[in-house]
Amino acid sequence: MPEREWKKGSAELLILSLIEHEARHGYELGKLIESRSKGVLRFHVASLYPLLYRLEKRGWIEGRWVEKAGQRRRRYYRLTADGKKVLAAQRKTWTAFAQAINRIAGVQHA
Amino acid sequence: MPEWREELRRRLAALHLAPAEEAGIVEELAQHLEDRFRELVSQGLGADEARRIALEELSERELFEGFTEVLAPARPAAPPPGVGGGRAGWVGHFLKDLRFGLRMLRTRPGFAAVAILTLALGIGANTAIFSTVNGVLLKPLPYPESDQLVTFWGTAPEKRLPVVDYPEAMFLSFHARTRVFESVAAYAVAGVSLSGDGDPERIQAAGVSTDFFRVLRQVPVAGRTFLAEEGTAGKNNVAVLSHALWQRRFGGDRGLVGKSIQVGDRPTVVVGIMPPGFDFPQRAELWFPLLLEADDTGNWYLSTVARLKPGQTVADAHREVVAMSDEFFLSRPDRFPDAKPGSRAVVMPVLRSLVGDARTPLLVLLGAVGFVLLIASANIGNLLLARALARGREMALRCCLGASSGRLAAQLLTESLLLAVLGGAAGLLFGWLGIRVIQGLQVGPVPRLAEVRLDPAALLFTLGVTLAAGVLFGVAPAIRASRLDPLEGLREGGRGGTSRGARGLSHGFVVAQIALSLILLVGAGLLLRSFQRTLKVDPGFRPENVLTARIQLPWPKYGNDTVVRVFQSRLLEAVRSLPGVHQTGLANRIPFSRGNPQQELYVEGQIPRPGESVPVINNRSVSPGYFEAMGTPILRGRGILGSDVAGAPPVVVIDETVALQYWPGGDPLGKRIRTTSDSSTAWLTVVGVAPNVKHASLRERPNFEMYRSLSQSPAWSTYLVVRSGGDPQSLVAELRRRVAELDPTLPVSEVHTMVGAMAESLSVARLTNTLLTGFAGLAMLLAVIGIYGVMSLNVNGRQGEFGVRLALGAAPRDVLRLVMRQGLLLAFLGLAIGVAGALWLTRLLGSLLFEVSPMDPVTFLSVGAILALAAALACYVPARRATLADPMSALRRE
Repeated sequence: MPEREWKKGSAELLILSLIEHEARHGYELGKLIESRSKGVLRFHVASLYPLLYRLEKRGWIEGRWVEKAGQRRRRYYRLTADGKKVLAAQRKTWTAFAQAINRIAGVQHA
Repeated sequence: MPEWREELRRRLAALHLAPAEEAGIVEELAQHLEDRFRELVSQGLGADEARRIALEELSERELFEGFTEVLAPARPAAPPPGVGGGRAGWVGHFLKDLRFGLRMLRTRPGFAAVAILTLALGIGANTAIFSTVNGVLLKPLPYPESDQLVTFWGTAPEKRLPVVDYPEAMFLSFHARTRVFESVAAYAVAGVSLSGDGDPERIQAAGVSTDFFRVLRQVPVAGRTFLAEEGTAGKNNVAVLSHALWQRRFGGDRGLVGKSIQVGDRPTVVVGIMPPGFDFPQRAELWFPLLLEADDTGNWYLSTVARLKPGQTVADAHREVVAMSDEFFLSRPDRFPDAKPGSRAVVMPVLRSLVGDARTPLLVLLGAVGFVLLIASANIGNLLLARALARGREMALRCCLGASSGRLAAQLLTESLLLAVLGGAAGLLFGWLGIRVIQGLQVGPVPRLAEVRLDPAALLFTLGVTLAAGVLFGVAPAIRASRLDPLEGLREGGRGGTSRGARGLSHGFVVAQIALSLILLVGAGLLLRSFQRTLKVDPGFRPENVLTARIQLPWPKYGNDTVVRVFQSRLLEAVRSLPGVHQTGLANRIPFSRGNPQQELYVEGQIPRPGESVPVINNRSVSPGYFEAMGTPILRGRGILGSDVAGAPPVVVIDETVALQYWPGGDPLGKRIRTTSDSSTAWLTVVGVAPNVKHASLRERPNFEMYRSLSQSPAWSTYLVVRSGGDPQSLVAELRRRVAELDPTLPVSEVHTMVGAMAESLSVARLTNTLLTGFAGLAMLLAVIGIYGVMSLNVNGRQGEFGVRLALGAAPRDVLRLVMRQGLLLAFLGLAIGVAGALWLTRLLGSLLFEVSPMDPVTFLSVGAILALAAALACYVPARRATLADPMSALRRE
């Protein structure tokens, strides 16, 4: 699987996780991914938004224009009921996958 | 803020989004860019630097990829990450490509129709012709180890005798002495009459040496073949029947073997039945043993068939036949006083000798149809190339979006395969129809034609070639194009231009197509002109309204000359009295019948010296009325009259070829000739001169012919010639009735109209002409489609340029001239190459041409003109379109 595919697959999981408990807008999501991964993972505008639109199209997340006091109009994304199920399934798959890799490749947790 | 939106709109434009959708995306992304910009500025960067970085992160390529996928029609949800995509295997891809390909074909019905039709014609024509060539020329004969079977004969071209059969003594000598052959058999074709049960019937039969069937390794389905002792007098009243005859006349009666049937006047015991399909030689239905005598050197009538020992070749056999012939002649100085070593003989595989004259035409057709295949392939290549270029933008886009060149190739390959399968299916139908047409066109002498079946190998071969051409010419350039800078492809594709390399390739195809078409058209033209010349040949008689029928008088019922003469004169009287009959006559041989009795010619006062070769003359015996019935005018003197009876001074009518050879400028009348050097043979006095008559073929060179009186030189087997006032076919029933009144046991066979017999002699030529003309027409059509397609493509790609030219003041006429010049340049290049190729290739037509030079200027010029005109028309349509380019839209685009 080329690197892009890895990234795409994992990016879905990242975004679903970040909006699990509160709605966030795109710029915020990008900043959060960068900061929480300590700069290892970065999504620029050109890759982030198509991803958001894709997730929305699948019905996993929902975007809505919100105008908060003292701020500009922004589009906030939140998780849908379907999205919650997918997130749970993806977490499970990812964990199993990571464990499998570890068992084979012998990568130790830090 | 506003500049973000503008930039975003520009970068999203290629996605062709709905306005509302685009507005939403633009706003959201602009927001993001603005946030990013402020962040960067707050980190201390200058505004320009911050703007540059923000825009850099807005990768155009990623935008394409991301949004194209998202905004594409609904697709199934992707599987969870890290787990392989189930439907992403090659089967899934293939099905997707197939659906996509079908959609492409449906949306471009014109392209699909032309491509499939081109494929179908190319594949169909090739399959039909290759099946025919394979069935007639290549497929082994249905005899075991038939590749070991050869036939051989002597030859004496200096005496105008290309084929000399062997006398019995010579065959027996070969049979006893050969080391090269496992065994040698002899046969002679004969007609025999069957009487007894049912109507008298004349059938094709063969006298054979007793080991004939063993040489061919044929085993009877019932009974046995001949025993060696059945080749001796008293034991030879036996026969083997063909399966067909057994079924037809005897109802497949199992008890027939061992019973006696009436063959001619002889009761004959049936000893065996051959398997179905065995009819060698010449559709024989009955075989009887020959009585061969070791001292008979006078009758040269035996054909041979021999089986080579394993490891022996035709060349070995040729050496041995020559050596055995020399030995035979030199050991009999009393019989062959002027014999010299160095006998001449021809040894040939039986298959090749059977195919005979059909070989060259079939090979020419095979070559022609190969050309058609090449042209069709070039057309398919051009079509695919043109389409690949037109779709360059699509390909470049998909390449940008991360499709590997392998996936693109797979898609194009699937589309080509789809075309090939559809074209192949239609081609199968065309091929099957083609074989039917070929068999339908042909009535006569092409051997094995009736058994020709559609050849699956031929179908696959042609399908493969066409497909390979399509892939090579259509897919390869597309991949190469997509591998170049994709953005370049997008930009160029957006303007509908074509790359220089691809244009060169498609121009090359057009030139090649025109050249190949010209060669085919010239070939067809030369054959058509030859055919016209052939039809204009004066055969030396008038075939219209003439009916002919063969009447063979059986021995011993008609055992002596007097009985024969009486019957023949009564027959002539009876037929002459029929209403509608103008004139009638009898002859031992007539034009376009089989066989050709020949004798040596000795002219009084011009006898060849010892060692000089003796000329040979065709010997005809004719009744009074024959010349009138045939419509052969007597040029000098008189014809054969009723007074030229046995006992009267022997007379002869010679043809003008003999007259010119021996008495050039002099008077042949009253001169004398005879047919042996034996001084006891009577001299024949020349009483008349007839024109040269074509006997075997309209294209034959003049032979020496002489006509004796049937009364003075009797024949048992004769052809009745009847000239009527109207349709000669209407006389057939009445004719048969009159013969039956004279002798009810006599079969009347080979009933033909003279016109029909002549037409049959031309059937191979007619078949070749029809097919070659058809192929040449097809080739021209394909080439015209090719040049039209390429010019259309060029014009479409240059609409902008033409618009600008028109805007800058060029007259439509100038644009027209520009396009026409380009198209005609290609056409004339193709014509020039074609003429060179045709000059080189038409020599191969050689023996098929008649009184037409392979470089016949009339053919070359007229064919070139026709093709040039067709090409000009094909260029004119797109050129007209170029003049209609809209200057304003062109300027806007620039």
